[in-house]
Amino acid sequence: MARKTRSTSGTGGRTAALFLVPFFGVFAVAMVAPVVYSLVLSFYAQQKSGLGFGGTKTAFVGLDNYVQVFQSETFTGGLGRLALYCLIYIPCMVGGAVAFALLLDATVARARKLFQLLVFLPHAVPGVIAALIWAYLYTPGVSPLVQALQGGGIQLNFLDAHLVLPSIVNIAVWEWTGYNVIILFTALQSVPREILEAARVDGAGEIRAALSIKFPLILPALSVIILFTVIGTLQLFTEPSIISKATASVTSTWVPNLWAYDAAFNRHNLNQAAAASIIIALLAAGLSLAVTRFSSRMNKA
Amino acid sequence: MKRRHVLLGAASLLTSAALLTGCGTGPATTPSAQSGDASGTVTFWSSLAGMDKVAERFNASQDKIKVTFETIPNGGNGGYAKLSTAITAGNGPDVSTVEYAQLPQFVSNGQVVPLDGYIDKASTVDKLSDQVRGLVQFDGKSYGLPYDAAPMIMWYRKDLLDKAGAEVPKTWEEFEAAGKKLKAVSPKSYLASFYPNEPTLMAALSWQAGAKWFSTEGDSWKLGLKDDATKKVSSFWQRMIDEKIVKVEQAFSDEWSADLANGTLGGVLGANWSATGIQKRTEAAGQKGKWIAAEAPNWGTPAGAFYGGSSFNITKSSKNPAAAAKFIAFLATSPEAIAARGNTGSAFLAYPGLTKEARKAFDAGYFGNDIYGVFDKAYATILPGWQWGPNWDVTNTALKDSFGALTTGGKIDAALDSSSDATLSGFKQSGLSVKD
Repeated sequence: MARKTRSTSGTGGRTAALFLVPFFGVFAVAMVAPVVYSLVLSFYAQQKSGLGFGGTKTAFVGLDNYVQVFQSETFTGGLGRLALYCLIYIPCMVGGAVAFALLLDATVARARKLFQLLVFLPHAVPGVIAALIWAYLYTPGVSPLVQALQGGGIQLNFLDAHLVLPSIVNIAVWEWTGYNVIILFTALQSVPREILEAARVDGAGEIRAALSIKFPLILPALSVIILFTVIGTLQLFTEPSIISKATASVTSTWVPNLWAYDAAFNRHNLNQAAAASIIIALLAAGLSLAVTRFSSRMNKA
Repeated sequence: MKRRHVLLGAASLLTSAALLTGCGTGPATTPSAQSGDASGTVTFWSSLAGMDKVAERFNASQDKIKVTFETIPNGGNGGYAKLSTAITAGNGPDVSTVEYAQLPQFVSNGQVVPLDGYIDKASTVDKLSDQVRGLVQFDGKSYGLPYDAAPMIMWYRKDLLDKAGAEVPKTWEEFEAAGKKLKAVSPKSYLASFYPNEPTLMAALSWQAGAKWFSTEGDSWKLGLKDDATKKVSSFWQRMIDEKIVKVEQAFSDEWSADLANGTLGGVLGANWSATGIQKRTEAAGQKGKWIAAEAPNWGTPAGAFYGGSSFNITKSSKNPAAAAKFIAFLATSPEAIAARGNTGSAFLAYPGLTKEARKAFDAGYFGNDIYGVFDKAYATILPGWQWGPNWDVTNTALKDSFGALTTGGKIDAALDSSSDATLSGFKQSGLSVKD
């Protein structure tokens, strides 16, 4: 037996390498190279002098770009806004998804397939299209929604500086709740039925069974969802950039990703954009680590 | 395992090195003496409507140079991002279309090359008016041939003004009075809009009042976003917003389009090129013949400014600058090029004698007065001496962002202050010399 394993591992290694080469090839070109290149870029700067018409020269500036990014009030402001966004979005979306999934799983639920489909439907709409639809629904003077509210005596401008953040959270909740309901619902399906039956025999109703048995058992799935959501929110870009066409309340540096885009393509400062991107990537890595640590401790407990 | 690791590292290093050198080198562009026998292929990027037909006409008119045209998004929709990235990466077009406000930025980033040596100056740049020439010449070199010279124009719903008993305003004071009369008749309407997403219009308004946002003193820049003329303009528009004579809304947005169609707006502050936009948005609402063009109101003495306008340039990534120059000269100075563009817009052109071609090509029947007559008058009063800075997008973005607060209590004045600071720090960060 032992000999056999060894002999296969010889050819197995080569076969494995063969299968891995395409992956690592693409990974190197599409992932490692750009990251290395961004890192290199982030340590240089294009320096001009005088009126600026005499050409530019590239100079090594060490960590200057990183310092400039952190000193930029718009960048730190964007980070703060993103934190606020997470604070509103994650509880709303995750809470909604858990509630919907538990309702769908309740034995009394009717037309389960239909509701599953309905809940998932918004996610089938591509993000850009969803943002465009909502931009239309938010725009005063165009939107039937705003008009209906006005008819009821409620004056709301969804796109002004106060309400635009919740409005964008709403788009994301609409888009992502259904998707996560499906994940949680699948997790609920794998909860052993005997446990539920035992609980029922012990006199637990639907609500008690949901809270004390089903919910703790789907915690691992829940932590995966939260992890993906946290990483996803750091990449917030599409919705604000579409909404910014409809309102001036969404600034060009509204969230860190927009800041990096603005640095690269409006201010033509690729070096600063590279530094900002590295910072965002590190943040995403740090946050993912924190979430995994936290959730694995929670799952153990 | 270990070897693969090393190989992987080496491969990624090689790729990144290739990327690095790829960005560092561009074709050396040493202007050769102007050659009459330029030939080969030229690529041309523009977001201007009808330019495909112009390129076709050029191809048909001779057989040495073949132009390939590609439509790109306009500046507001990422056109400049695309252009600038492509040039930096070395695969940009030969000929680009860049607006005057953005041109100094492309020049100072070394993304467009001087035309001197490629073009016949006597028959091109030397024939332009000082105001226009100043927008494409930097440090004594020409970096583009101007296409349109777009005078700021105020468009009115004449029927609404008549109903309110107001004359077409000649001064800003009369503009305010007309706005009040309009409000008296229909309280929900506005005489114009203030566009947070169009800082170039704020610049044009300040230019018209005599401001100079960017000027040079020796080898240094001087900023004027807080000068007296700009303050006068900003406090006037602030009052217009506060009195609800002017509505704060994004230009070209659905909201703005709806306000035009349903008659909420009695006017549009724009330029000659606004005609098609107005027609497109109001034709279905039966407003034919109700719109007229007028010179923008002034501060007592006739004065105007450019609001928009583009130039054609040879990019650093061009491999055939001599042929590109020939094509640019055709684009910017040939009546044939204007005629080929067809009925795409009410262009007003910088090169003398071309506007009459544009006038022939454009069907102005939608409008209630002689719009080209108004353009001519507005063009004659453009104040000389305005210059765009080498970093306009920094100022532009800062203004756009701070104007965003106007609907929730923000002030134009504060927006100008913070944008001035942002511009200053942008100048300093890129190493430019600037006087405080």
